Amino acid sequence: MASIIQSLLEWLRSLFFKTEMELTLVGLQNSGKTTLVNVIASGQFIEDSIPTVGFNMRKVTKGSVTLKLWDIGGQPRFRSMWERYCRGVNAIVFVVDAADHDKIDAARTELKSLLEKPQLSNIPVLVLGNKNDLPTALNVDELIDILNLKTITNREVSCYSISAKNQVNIDITLQWLIKKGKGQK
Amino acid sequence: MSYGKRDEDTGEIGLFYHLDKTTVLQEARVFNDSPINARKCRLLLTKIIYLLYLGEPFNTKEATELFFNVTKLFQSKDTSLRQMMYLVIKELSDIAEDVIMVTQSLMKDIQAKQETSYRANAIRALCQITDPSMIQGIERILKAAIVDKTPSVSSAALVSSYHLFAVAKDVVRRWANEVQEAVHVKSSSGGLSSMSNYMTSLGGAQNQTQVVISTSNITQYHALGLLYLIRQHDRMAITKLIQSFAGNKSSGLLGGGGNSILKNSPAVCLLIRYACKVMEEDPSTTRRMYELLEAFLRHKSDMVNYEAARAICEMNDVSAKELYPAISVLQLFLSSPKPTLRFAAIRTLNKLAMSKPNAVSPCNLDMENLITDQNRSIATFAITTLLKTGNEASVDRLMKQISGFMSEITDEFKVIVVEAIRSLCLKFPAKQGVMLTFLSGILRDEGGYDFKRAVVEAIFDLVKYITDSRDTALAHLCEFIEDCEFTKLSVRILHVLGVEGPKTATPTKFIRYIYNRVILENSIVRAAAVSALAKFGVNVEDTSVKKSVRILLTRCLDDVDDEVRDRATLYLSLMDNDDCAKRYIKDDSTYAFPTLERQLVEYINNTNASVQPFDIHNVPKISKAQEEEERRRARTQEISSMPSLAVPSQQHPRTPGTPATPDSLGPASPAIGSSYDQQQVYAEQLAAIPEFASFGPLFKSSGKPIELTESETEYVVHCIKHTYNEHIVFQFNCTNTLNDQLLEDVVMMMQPDIDDCGLEQVASISSAKLEYNVTGVLYLAFQKLAADFPIATFTNTLKFVVKDCDPTTGEPDEEGYEDEYQVEDIDVLTGDYIQPTYISNFAEVWEQLAETEALETFALEKDKAPSLKAACNSIIDLLGMQALEDSALPKSNTVHTLILSGMFIGGIKVLARSRMTFSPATGVAFELAVRSEDENVSQIVLGAIA
Repeated sequence: MASIIQSLLEWLRSLFFKTEMELTLVGLQNSGKTTLVNVIASGQFIEDSIPTVGFNMRKVTKGSVTLKLWDIGGQPRFRSMWERYCRGVNAIVFVVDAADHDKIDAARTELKSLLEKPQLSNIPVLVLGNKNDLPTALNVDELIDILNLKTITNREVSCYSISAKNQVNIDITLQWLIKKGKGQK
Repeated sequence: MSYGKRDEDTGEIGLFYHLDKTTVLQEARVFNDSPINARKCRLLLTKIIYLLYLGEPFNTKEATELFFNVTKLFQSKDTSLRQMMYLVIKELSDIAEDVIMVTQSLMKDIQAKQETSYRANAIRALCQITDPSMIQGIERILKAAIVDKTPSVSSAALVSSYHLFAVAKDVVRRWANEVQEAVHVKSSSGGLSSMSNYMTSLGGAQNQTQVVISTSNITQYHALGLLYLIRQHDRMAITKLIQSFAGNKSSGLLGGGGNSILKNSPAVCLLIRYACKVMEEDPSTTRRMYELLEAFLRHKSDMVNYEAARAICEMNDVSAKELYPAISVLQLFLSSPKPTLRFAAIRTLNKLAMSKPNAVSPCNLDMENLITDQNRSIATFAITTLLKTGNEASVDRLMKQISGFMSEITDEFKVIVVEAIRSLCLKFPAKQGVMLTFLSGILRDEGGYDFKRAVVEAIFDLVKYITDSRDTALAHLCEFIEDCEFTKLSVRILHVLGVEGPKTATPTKFIRYIYNRVILENSIVRAAAVSALAKFGVNVEDTSVKKSVRILLTRCLDDVDDEVRDRATLYLSLMDNDDCAKRYIKDDSTYAFPTLERQLVEYINNTNASVQPFDIHNVPKISKAQEEEERRRARTQEISSMPSLAVPSQQHPRTPGTPATPDSLGPASPAIGSSYDQQQVYAEQLAAIPEFASFGPLFKSSGKPIELTESETEYVVHCIKHTYNEHIVFQFNCTNTLNDQLLEDVVMMMQPDIDDCGLEQVASISSAKLEYNVTGVLYLAFQKLAADFPIATFTNTLKFVVKDCDPTTGEPDEEGYEDEYQVEDIDVLTGDYIQPTYISNFAEVWEQLAETEALETFALEKDKAPSLKAACNSIIDLLGMQALEDSALPKSNTVHTLILSGMFIGGIKVLARSRMTFSPATGVAFELAVRSEDENVSQIVLGAIA
């Protein structure tokens, strides 16, 4: 009984304070987007080795904020469709495999061409260097450097180094995201 | 918005009236709203579907934009919105780009843990959007869905796999075990229905997860269809499949396949159809399959009973005894309260009555009751069947009844009635008076072209075959053209009047009618009338008639139309010159039309055509009687609807239909059925090969391709023999069934059993490359050395270079090695020099040819010919002739007379009669008499049996 009342209260509160925000996760294949979504949603690390064919849609409630996460496949055939799912969202999350040095150039090119789309101007971008648990992973400063993030001036850009596997820096990532949602209101 | 209340009409003008694509596309923005208004979105999706179904064109850009907007709706969990979404996704999948984007989301929906009702819909959508390269990725999900315990999910997966089979055979083949399991799915209907009750009661409270579980077992139908598709080329497997699913034979007594695995009636019907196919391909299975069919006659479902009965009725060479149980089932259906059953039964009986009227006649009483059936279609079939099965005495009564309701039925059924009467006329010539009155009566009724044509053609037949009725019939035709709205028919009638009129006692009577046409009709009919008049002028001996025709034709010289004037001028001068008249008007030969057509098409396609005139001498001439026969044969084949062998992909070049030119010399040719048969297809293929160009016209192609290998071997080879006047061409269709091999330089080596067999190889056409599953064609041509008809046996070896290749990519290795493959022998038989032809007057021609008879007596041992029917079949096979008057099917078990007709190479008519007796102790003994226009030929043909 107590739990019912509690959930009722929760619901009532959410009516007044609820903010809903949309996020789109993009990035090259095997950078850990789907894994990150799972970690945010359930707090668990699932070794999900199947590439995303198309997109995943997840709704996650964190406190009074509902996050709608569009997790788009990173294989080359889907990259042209990133833009469609980035239009009008609160923030774009660009996930990079910080330990895969071979693909970092491709990641920079893709990020640059995505941000050049006029439809996406002014949307804040969060770059996440994933897999910092691996020894070869680049740190934040190296990432900022190699992705030329400093040259982006017309929008808000942040960069964190995270590990979805060990849940490192997931909390600050969420804080950043939720701040974007509230900032809009 | 209750869908139930709206009927079609109000639906059209109600909610969606004046729906505009632009507005709808603009409204599509609501899909991006947050949060989503499910109701509003669903309505909009309905509008999109409505527009798509109306055929509103969406271009790729619009469709893609719309598609991606729709995908935003995946965030909503609303069931009915989801289902509507799938519909839109499926419809847009052909137009929009990048539809594979929703793959992951659909997969998630299919794998949903809770029992959601849209899983089946998601499967269908997934298979629609997927492309062949991605099927591997969804394989696991589909396999799981096929064996899912929810029937709707399983059905959706099966049907989708069925569609995927076309693009990804190899992947779908791997699912055979799952599919098999789906057929066997435990349908403990008790458990499931209680569960569905539970689900529906739950559904009332919780609208979102309402699942209705079907108890129809339709999954079995879908699974069986897919299983067959997977195994269709493996005859053994199919036979096994049919027998395992048909249930235990011994259960026949307990109500026919009662303990069969198949609970679903459509699935059983499907099984019956597959059984028929097996029987058709492999006659040796007939016995076993017939037993299955016979057991299904006692199945508890009407649908299955009917399907089995129909299958039995359509079996080739079915005996009266085998037919009997099927007929009794159909007879029972004739008095069923359900109109569909009555219709199905009577239609099947009607078809059967064409070939075996005696078998159907026990149902006469029941069919008479159906004449007054409220359903006019049933009544029509009943009457026409009775006309075929009835005896001479009942004809009058039936005709009276038909006249009663002719005005109440549609044209199509009128045509059926007319066709029935037409064959009846020929069967009972004594009744022609009644028939003719009836035909002329309905000729005056209202009706479309097809109906009128059928009537006119029936009267033509009367004129041609029943001399007694000729004058009256012609008089009726004359009357008809007085007021005929169809130019085509007028022209044809005028032609017949011209041919038949001069033979009558009072030709002048017809001349008046014909000249009336010259005065009153359009130019096409006038020209035809001029031609008809001229025939009177030439063929009637009476000089006064000649004189008056000359006067009439002279008047036609003033006609306003060129064609009419030209013809009149031509005929006037022909009448002055007896020699010419004989050559051009009395001539009763004509060109072989199918060949003429083909050569003309070739001529037109030839770029040099404008310089060179068309050479008509290459077209074989045949007599008009022969042409007539050819057409008759085509028509009987059409009526008995023989399974067409024509390759569907083989498109015939067809000249655009020439408008009705005023050419009444040749009868306006009706559907040129005969030219569309298999032989014509071969002829076209062969004519395209320059090496064979000098061989002249194709005489005969062997009917069914001869299998030289088992169907399951590495390389499958079929042979077809083509006989020319001086040459024999062997066509080998080779298929490579190994997906890891590429064959190159494929050539067939043929070695005759004796060295001087009288045949010399003149050409060999090899195939440069034979890829996996692509049929390649090899040809070998032999020339006959003497004016003899050699008989030989060839041993055949396929030689080629094998290159191994990657099964998935098909990339061949650089290096290959030579290999050869022996296939079975081919015999060249006397039968290859004989073409089966149809003649209608066997007895008459037989008497004419009495002088050239060759006669011998033979005996067949019992193990070679276990019955008279088997003996008939082997004689027909050996001689390659056409059995006449149903004589291929012995009516008695002990004595039978088989009569055959054929055309020997060089256009020599051959007839054969075999009187045979059968005794269980000694087998079949028969006396074969062959008569032909050439004594030598009679001997040769007789020699074929020895």
